[in-house]
Amino acid sequence: MVKIAVENLYFRYPEAAGFALRNVSFRIEEGESVAILGENGAGKTTLAKNLNGLLKPTEGSVKIDGVDTRSLSVAKIARKIGFVNHNPEHQFFAEKVEDEIRFGLRNFGFPEETIDKIIQEVLSVFGLEEYRGKNPFQLSGGEKKRLAIASIMAWRPEALIVDEPTIGMDYAQKMNIRRVLRRIVSEGRCVIVITHDVDFAASICERAIILSRGEVIGDGRLRELLSDDELVEKASLRKPFIIELEEETGLTGLEEDFDILSSILMEVFQKCRS
Amino acid sequence: MSFLRAFKYRRKDTVVHRLDPRSKFLLSVVLMMVSIMFADIRVLLVLISGQLILLFLAKSLGEWFSSLRGLVFFFAVIFITQLLFGGTFYTGIVLSLRLVALSSSMSWFFLSSTPEDIGRAMSVAGLPIELTFSFTMAIRFIPVIYDEFQSIYDTQRSRGLELEKGGFRDRIRNLMPILIPLLVGTIRRTYEIADAMEVRAFGASPKRTTYKPLKLKSGDYIVCIASAILVVSALALKMVYGVE
Repeated sequence: MVKIAVENLYFRYPEAAGFALRNVSFRIEEGESVAILGENGAGKTTLAKNLNGLLKPTEGSVKIDGVDTRSLSVAKIARKIGFVNHNPEHQFFAEKVEDEIRFGLRNFGFPEETIDKIIQEVLSVFGLEEYRGKNPFQLSGGEKKRLAIASIMAWRPEALIVDEPTIGMDYAQKMNIRRVLRRIVSEGRCVIVITHDVDFAASICERAIILSRGEVIGDGRLRELLSDDELVEKASLRKPFIIELEEETGLTGLEEDFDILSSILMEVFQKCRS
Repeated sequence: MSFLRAFKYRRKDTVVHRLDPRSKFLLSVVLMMVSIMFADIRVLLVLISGQLILLFLAKSLGEWFSSLRGLVFFFAVIFITQLLFGGTFYTGIVLSLRLVALSSSMSWFFLSSTPEDIGRAMSVAGLPIELTFSFTMAIRFIPVIYDEFQSIYDTQRSRGLELEKGGFRDRIRNLMPILIPLLVGTIRRTYEIADAMEVRAFGASPKRTTYKPLKLKSGDYIVCIASAILVVSALALKMVYGVE
């Protein structure tokens, strides 16, 4: 079933001369994992904000479950489509981690007795139990990001948009975020990742939508799109490491999993030696 | 917050932009003083018309008009307080026009002067560098803080926050999830800027030089003379003709 349908979307910011998005059309089905890729200024975040109703199309339409976003409030859309800002500190205001999660649940009218249960569950799922009473601003970058995602996933939206999830993160933090997002995908929820970290995108998403200067220049299977040299260059991206490795070594079907990267490299070295 | 757009510098090549910030500041202060002096609708309308000409010459009428939308809230407050506390509809109009005249008198100045120009003008006037630098930074960071406010507001709306929901107390309480991250972010940035300035030896040299020294040109003298004429005319209107 189609979750999000974008048709001939044009968007222009009030004071801008040109369109930030031009003739963008695609559909995202339930349970899909999609990476929105592109260089800085390609229109990725603008597109994301159109998908969750923060921005309304200048022309064309964005429909959530068949309903035009123009006729829905941001809160109504947010109940279905969660959005995680690239900067988690833009959402923190509560004194404790648990209260940060409570905020969204209260806004959406969850009963108090259910809220405590949900908080406990979410803290456990996202590995934040030990930080329950801590001030969100005192968490590390990766923990802040996890809390930001946790506080959105608490009300179980049907789709989640995550803007630049790996900015300023070290390897271990990236792995934690990846684990969290993969878990959400495995639950059958739609995950849309906005990033220019192609390795991260390749480790989570099946599909990619590539933007350049506000236009969609590629939409399809991520691995196929990012194997296309011309497209990759046009979008100012680079191939994911896993694809480069396959091309260099002639090996196919390598796991898109950084955790087993060492074993892949061992495989490559052994092949080279033989 | 949209009224702040009328105070954000826009790089344009116009006769107003090319003027020295000192002459522009002088005219701006005179316009402000005249706006405060008079409560006569005709005078205020003439004053606003004059400022519209300045904004037209600065090719900034669009920014000014879009900022008026942000002032609607203040107009409403003025009218409500006037009607509640014994004022009249007429005084409401006068005060609203005065607000427009006051904000416009600063608006064309900020729209056409870079923060650096303003800082240099203050330095030339003999103000200490710590003060002029802080002032310049404050102006430069208005759009940054506005963007951050917008981002935080969007983020909280995505978490179901509805500012327009509930009574007056609820609405005030609803502002907290926006104001707290904004305040924390601003304080953090302050420390980061202070560190960045220290590592670049800010204040190490007591005597500072200027890359582009300010120089008054013929246009600036015309502006200064116009400012003097405006002051004399305003005083004459007030004292000789008794205009309110």
